[in-house]
Amino acid sequence: MNKTFLYILYGVLAVIILSVFAFTVFQPIQVLPRMQLAPAFNLTAQTNTPLTSEDLRGGFTLYTITYTNCPAPCYNINEIMQEVQSRLDEVPLGGIPVNFVTISIDPDRDTPEVLNTYAQSIGADTSNWWFATTTNKSLLKTIIGSGFETYYEDKGDGAFAFDPSFVLVDGWGIVRSEYRYVTEVSNADRILRHLGVLAEEVHNSTGSTKLAYEAAHLFLCYAP
Amino acid sequence: MKIKIFTLVIVTILGLSAGVYFFRPHTFHGTVIQSPDLAHDFTLTSADGDVSLSDYRGKLVLIYFGYTFCPDICPATLANVGQALRDIGDSADDVQVIMISLDPERDTPEKLAQYMKHFHPSFIGVTGTPEQLAEVAALYGIYYQKTEGSVASGYLLDHTATLLVIDREGYLKLVFPFGVTVPEIADDLKYMLKQ
Repeated sequence: MNKTFLYILYGVLAVIILSVFAFTVFQPIQVLPRMQLAPAFNLTAQTNTPLTSEDLRGGFTLYTITYTNCPAPCYNINEIMQEVQSRLDEVPLGGIPVNFVTISIDPDRDTPEVLNTYAQSIGADTSNWWFATTTNKSLLKTIIGSGFETYYEDKGDGAFAFDPSFVLVDGWGIVRSEYRYVTEVSNADRILRHLGVLAEEVHNSTGSTKLAYEAAHLFLCYAP
Repeated sequence: MKIKIFTLVIVTILGLSAGVYFFRPHTFHGTVIQSPDLAHDFTLTSADGDVSLSDYRGKLVLIYFGYTFCPDICPATLANVGQALRDIGDSADDVQVIMISLDPERDTPEKLAQYMKHFHPSFIGVTGTPEQLAEVAALYGIYYQKTEGSVASGYLLDHTATLLVIDREGYLKLVFPFGVTVPEIADDLKYMLKQ
């Protein structure tokens, strides 16, 4: 009887270990990591009205930085934002709003009026895309440099050096993905896929399924 | 023979259930953050001198942003945290609660110290210049803004009311939303203290 009990115990342990192994390898559920808290801010948008981090809570937000005097094509930043925005209907978001925010790193020249003219000149759909900045340069540096961990520097001749990047933030204000390098899959495709992964987690991670999603986070089952 | 197989199946199912139950990962009540970077360090002023986040490496640090004139949300949250610490007993010695004031105009270090003692003798309140506080709040995702209050209360501050937990190594590990209960806080703290 003791032997039988031991066999059962070993069997149970083996099944548990195999299940964990299978979960990690086959990743039946994929998630995006909860990387860090996105910075809080109170910026002024192209509409000359405040745009705060609180306004964007509850939806997904795609952030990027640029400045209106950046010589075209300026890393194709606007084109990628526009592509993602125009292809949102490909993603089953289930009613979760998606917002787009372009933060200018040149507040001296990029006033709300200039940002508004710029948005119109590139044909931006401003129904859910904001162009914003703040004249508090020190806080701007904190928000972009330390908060979004994105390098930029005023070269002093009207030009800025900066790392083109996109940051995806969820409805709780948590950074879920960053796009800093050119990959084989276009950034727009990856962002759209990740929006789908996030939406799936929001809709499905309830009740007992929440445990499976937390396990996916624990075992680093991250969507590529 | 049939009875033997039946017993074996039942025992295996029970064993599996017990295994899943005992080996299941802890389900946090707060949102788990998997940051590869240390939480932003800061140095602010308390009634007993400068306080840095890094001073408390080795302890769990709970950070809350609020202010002493806060009419409801801040005292409710701090009272819950105080009760949770009392509930976890002696291991609460390994937890440090810091409230960062968002109201440098009215919250002096002395006033903060007096206020924080109402909730738990170990709680610390810190403040700084408006610029320092704006920077720290931004980096911890805390939005705040002055709003009009009554004649009695003076102005109020709208602010993000999350409670943040920094682990013993200095990484932001958990974010509790406003409304988290005493047992939920105590449960997560107990688990983290065992790590």
